[in-house]
Amino acid sequence: MVRFKHRYLLCELVSDDPRCRLSLEDRVLCGLVRDTIARVHGTFGAAACSVGFAVRYLNAYTGIVLLRCRKEFYQLLSSALPFITYLENKGHRYPCFLNTLHVGGTIRTCQKFLIQYNRRQLLILLQNCRNEGEREAIQKSVTRSCLLEESSGEEEHLDSGDEAAAEAME
Amino acid sequence: MAVFADLDLRVGSDLKALRGLVENAAHLGYSVVAINHVVEFKEKKQEIEKPVAVSELFTTLPIVQVSCTHLDVDLVCITVTEKLPFYFKRPPINVAIDRGVGFELVYSPAIKDSTMRRYTISNALNLMQVCKGKNIIISSAAERPLEIRGPYDVANLGLLFGLSENDAKAAVSTNCRAAILHGETRKTAFGIIATVKKPRSSEGDSDPPPACKKSKCED
Repeated sequence: MVRFKHRYLLCELVSDDPRCRLSLEDRVLCGLVRDTIARVHGTFGAAACSVGFAVRYLNAYTGIVLLRCRKEFYQLLSSALPFITYLENKGHRYPCFLNTLHVGGTIRTCQKFLIQYNRRQLLILLQNCRNEGEREAIQKSVTRSCLLEESSGEEEHLDSGDEAAAEAME
Repeated sequence: MAVFADLDLRVGSDLKALRGLVENAAHLGYSVVAINHVVEFKEKKQEIEKPVAVSELFTTLPIVQVSCTHLDVDLVCITVTEKLPFYFKRPPINVAIDRGVGFELVYSPAIKDSTMRRYTISNALNLMQVCKGKNIIISSAAERPLEIRGPYDVANLGLLFGLSENDAKAAVSTNCRAAILHGETRKTAFGIIATVKKPRSSEGDSDPPPACKKSKCED
């Protein structure tokens, strides 16, 4: 079979500063990851990982990032991710780190994991929310996610649930 | 899923910072955390849910040998930030593994500074060659919440340190649990230092020593 096999790394950007997530961008993250791999694994690492490397999905509200890499070199990428310490955008430097949630062979498996993860996060947010309006918004998202589980429109749930949750968080 | 533990959080005396750190660790998926109190020469660890486990920090060879074979410790924490002036010798390390003493590698200097990173990796590889990856724990000497990494990432760091993939995952989960239980058995059954991975102590503290002796006589 002539097919390039990839590994998809699902990561979450964790930071103290709420502006850090909002300034997440394709190119910024791409450059950052490449620099980090070059620092940790040197010239060989940077070259090997940059062949199939791409940022496939980016959600600025929840800080979820999906990175793609070739299967032979995904360990170079995954072992270099802990060394990311800051995100630099337009001259502002925000300290942050990437937390790997899941490694999958296809986008679909990562999506399934992300849906379950988001559901769990919504429930955790429900416990922590402080006022009535937020509580109602989150409960609505939770019931909507349970209904959508039966239908096939799960992808919409991903984004809409995230935005509601992100608004509730801020 | 296995229980993930981070057995080294260095905090000063600031309670609020400590709380932020522990919350961050819980959010990342750690179920057990040990807070390190630096007490002059010896370091004493206090755990949140379970009783005290003792670990010791050393820099010279004689202390290595003594602590592996005789001292009553659970974990030997290796300062990875300088070029160690000695090589690890195989006999004392094997004795330590038999006794159940674990070796701890710290990774937060590696995240902060690039020269430290080099020393960390070289010392870690050195240790791996002698002990073949058994009884190793990886933990962060984190002082701020941004220095902790999630368990999956720490297992990947283990790959960099020369562990195999299985060993790296064990370094974050099962070996940590073994060290904690080792500390527990030390407290409950004096004089018996056994490499028990899953002891049934806690209830019936005073019974284990005489029971063992009885069974030996009966055989």
